[in-house]
Amino acid sequence: MTDQPSITVCDATLRDGSHAYSHQITLEQVTAYATAAEAAGFSFLEVGHGNGLGASSLQVGESLVPEGEMLSAAKKCLRRTKLSVHVIPGFATIKREIVNALEAGVDLFRVGCHCTEADITQRHIGYVRSAGHETWGVLMMSHMAPKEVLLEEAKKLQSYGAQGVVLMDSAGAYFPQEVTAKIGLLASRLDVPVGFHAHDNLGLSIANSLAALEAGARIIDGTAKGFGAGAGNAPLELLAAVLRQRGYPCSVDLYRALDAAEVAARLFAGSLPESTGITIVSGLAGVFSGFSKPVQRAAAQLGVDPRDVLVELGRRKVVGGQEDIILEVAAELARGSNLSAPNP
Amino acid sequence: MNRAITLVRADAEAVLEGRNGQLEALRGQHLFISGGTGFLGAWLLELAAVLNERHGFGLTVTVFSRNARAFAQRWPHLGGLEWITFQDGDIRYLSELPRETRYIIHAAALTDRRLFASQPSAVAETNGLGTLRLLRAANLLEDLKNVVLMSSCLVYGQQPWETAQINESFAGPLRSNDVNAVYAESKRFAEMIAQCAISESKLPVVTVRPFAFVGPYQSLELPWAVTDFIRDSLAGGPIRIMGDGATVRSIMYGSDFAFGVLSALAVGKPRETYNLGSPEAIDLGSLARMITQFFSPVPEIRTRVGQVGHDRNRLVPAIDRAAADLGLKVTVPLPEALQRTIAWNRFIQNK
Amino acid sequence: MTPPTERLPVAILGTGNIGTDLLLKVLRSPVLDCRLFAGRNLASPGMSKASHLNVPVSAKGIDSIQELKGEIALVFDATSAPDHLKHAPVFEQMGVVALDLTPAKVGRMCVPAVNLDECLGLPNVNMVTCGGQAAIPLAWAIAQANAQVEYVETVSSIASRSAGPATRINLDEYLDTTEMGLQLFAGCPRTKAILNLNPAQPCIHMQTTIMAKITHPDLLRTREKVAAMVAMIKKYVPGYQLILPPMIEGGRMVMMVRVDGLGDYLPKYAGNLDIINCAAIAFAEACAHRRNS
Repeated sequence: MTDQPSITVCDATLRDGSHAYSHQITLEQVTAYATAAEAAGFSFLEVGHGNGLGASSLQVGESLVPEGEMLSAAKKCLRRTKLSVHVIPGFATIKREIVNALEAGVDLFRVGCHCTEADITQRHIGYVRSAGHETWGVLMMSHMAPKEVLLEEAKKLQSYGAQGVVLMDSAGAYFPQEVTAKIGLLASRLDVPVGFHAHDNLGLSIANSLAALEAGARIIDGTAKGFGAGAGNAPLELLAAVLRQRGYPCSVDLYRALDAAEVAARLFAGSLPESTGITIVSGLAGVFSGFSKPVQRAAAQLGVDPRDVLVELGRRKVVGGQEDIILEVAAELARGSNLSAPNP
Repeated sequence: MNRAITLVRADAEAVLEGRNGQLEALRGQHLFISGGTGFLGAWLLELAAVLNERHGFGLTVTVFSRNARAFAQRWPHLGGLEWITFQDGDIRYLSELPRETRYIIHAAALTDRRLFASQPSAVAETNGLGTLRLLRAANLLEDLKNVVLMSSCLVYGQQPWETAQINESFAGPLRSNDVNAVYAESKRFAEMIAQCAISESKLPVVTVRPFAFVGPYQSLELPWAVTDFIRDSLAGGPIRIMGDGATVRSIMYGSDFAFGVLSALAVGKPRETYNLGSPEAIDLGSLARMITQFFSPVPEIRTRVGQVGHDRNRLVPAIDRAAADLGLKVTVPLPEALQRTIAWNRFIQNK
Repeated sequence: MTPPTERLPVAILGTGNIGTDLLLKVLRSPVLDCRLFAGRNLASPGMSKASHLNVPVSAKGIDSIQELKGEIALVFDATSAPDHLKHAPVFEQMGVVALDLTPAKVGRMCVPAVNLDECLGLPNVNMVTCGGQAAIPLAWAIAQANAQVEYVETVSSIASRSAGPATRINLDEYLDTTEMGLQLFAGCPRTKAILNLNPAQPCIHMQTTIMAKITHPDLLRTREKVAAMVAMIKKYVPGYQLILPPMIEGGRMVMMVRVDGLGDYLPKYAGNLDIINCAAIAFAEACAHRRNS
């Protein structure tokens, strides 16, 4: 496969990993890991709260370090590798978060939304473009919409000026066939490159990532040791190995990527993701991976089975950012009352 | 009149026989039918009556059209049904839908060829704007399940002679700068409006492209070949074919048509487009001969009555998609369809 | 014996879904009298509805409102923020109370359960945002019950179908305005608002969560104040329900409300739009009562 275009590898360790670390990543950890990521030659390093700019909140957890400081610290360590952020309209605003991130030297803004709501990203994407910076659109929880809908939403992102579109498997719910169908459709009909962001709830993150690449994705996300929400992401060190073995050209140096994984293992020891009953049920129920920890907490406090909470959240088709519903569901289960459907 | 009613009732029962399970989603629901007072509307109500009276469906229906009450008076066996509300109104000015509406069939359109000629703007406005109004009103409903947009096979433009059947991905030439294409273009616009509503508000809309039909309740004044031939035959003939009779059509009976539409409503996939019609091609010459068989003495058939070089053309759908998703099929073969239509018209004329 | 309240003559400017829903509420009110339903498009469904209800309509927009100078006391402006900026000086010149349902924020923020009395007599009041109407009363109640409220946050989830293009393109402004409202009413310098759109079918009803960081939280007192506040809000927003009473979880005070819309014109799931209209009616009715006393 020598005619392949180069694959853009996005390292989300210091962003998705925030979920795995209750958003308590320290500046020292940022600096240490960013240095390793730069050496490994990943295309982009994504830094910040798990839910992106401005997401430090009671709803999804408060960050230990203000995002401006994290971004500046990371930026200092990067030369070839570019700095990216995740941005969700509804959490972040242009005036506060995007303007400040631009000042901190962010190169790429990945503007995300629930997979059926692309039109909320129009102004944010437009703003970054007119500021002369790169921006992609991200469709989150993309297992929840059929491929035709995803294409329609992706086309909206493209029309707003997005220079790439990434499908996120935020719940770790995809199977390879679905990846092939959805990525395949987008890759064949969009002008901009298409990407995939896997989660490992059902143990399929690498298989899904490979399916995405084979279906035409030119952007692939991963994290070191899978350090991320729920059961984690596609481990970057494995992705690097798979890319090399299948002959996909990319800027990643395999051994340095393996080294970066070791750095992450040391830095975040004790918090590396693992597959548990909760993450498995979460993947099956199609619930946002980042809910795993708050579900555990609420379930423990209210004395209910966290897996039951996840199943009900999935039944209600709750989207990312709706962590408050966890409490409502756990409280209802605790009361033992019949769970009412949204309409009385 | 009674024999006419009985004939149609028998057809409605037959087409639903063993297949009403397909329509389960509609049980107990409120249907809003815009333009439900034409050929399709009448058949839909006939099928709904069977679903209610024979299968306990408990459907309620609102029929919205410019001559809803006149229709109720003309056909008292339908007009008197207490579960149907006949609402007079112009689709261009529709502002609200009954709150309990969960299913909509949007069939309101100007389809009279004389209007295409003398009031093309009204055609564009009603067919385009009317669709916009309806979908905007639909957006305010609590729990909308499905909308069927009755489009038209004419959106395809000209079917190439060599192509036996056109499927839903076929796209013929646009003729947006020719007023003679106002009906086809207005239906294309209606389809586009539906796509906009789907994209902006995620409304569940199924687009249906009907082809050619025959049956009771169809006005014989319509300018279609099949209605011309039947009307001329009833008048003693002759049947006049403009060209050499080689033009190819396909014709489906009213009961199969109405079942297809109800099926699209109940189980049609939102965002999908379905051809609706018979896949069995027949040339006009054969059609004419088939029709004249039912008359004694056999009316004369004259061909090449029009200008020399009158184009032969073809309009036949591939219905694989509708067959797969909606269970669409021809249950009434064409000869029987024609025979029953002729019988019904005779019963009506003799009242 | 008190004489019956004379009806306050009002007008509605803006004949879209919000204006039309408002019209139905005004018509139902025993103390409000709708003299005019004005907009730009006589063909709009709202105009058609108003006409059928024998309400005078006009397509002359703000001009037709001006013609009623001296005859009306209050105008509901349900147009858009840029349009309200043009209308506000006209209302002021006319000497009518301007009730702004747009995000323009020209005048005072009004949350009836909290500062209704202060706002009576002001020439221009606005209804903040939907999340603001739902959360601010409870943020205020939290501030009443607890000494040191460090931070207040509100998250609202609304049905995707209840968020039209105007809402979507103005998300940032929605967040800013809601946060400003929280700061103002809860007296808390640090606030945050979050909005989630959920496309699930059947449509979800609006749900709002209020969270606070409090140094020494008094849960009992908070519950009392919140219960009292919910009862007060229910008087003008009947569909407002406390679905999760105040509790402390993960070091934060949390409570949740749901707003079931009345379903006058807007669907019931659009409680987010309904709460603003209900608040507007509550204010207008208070103006009517005030005028009569």
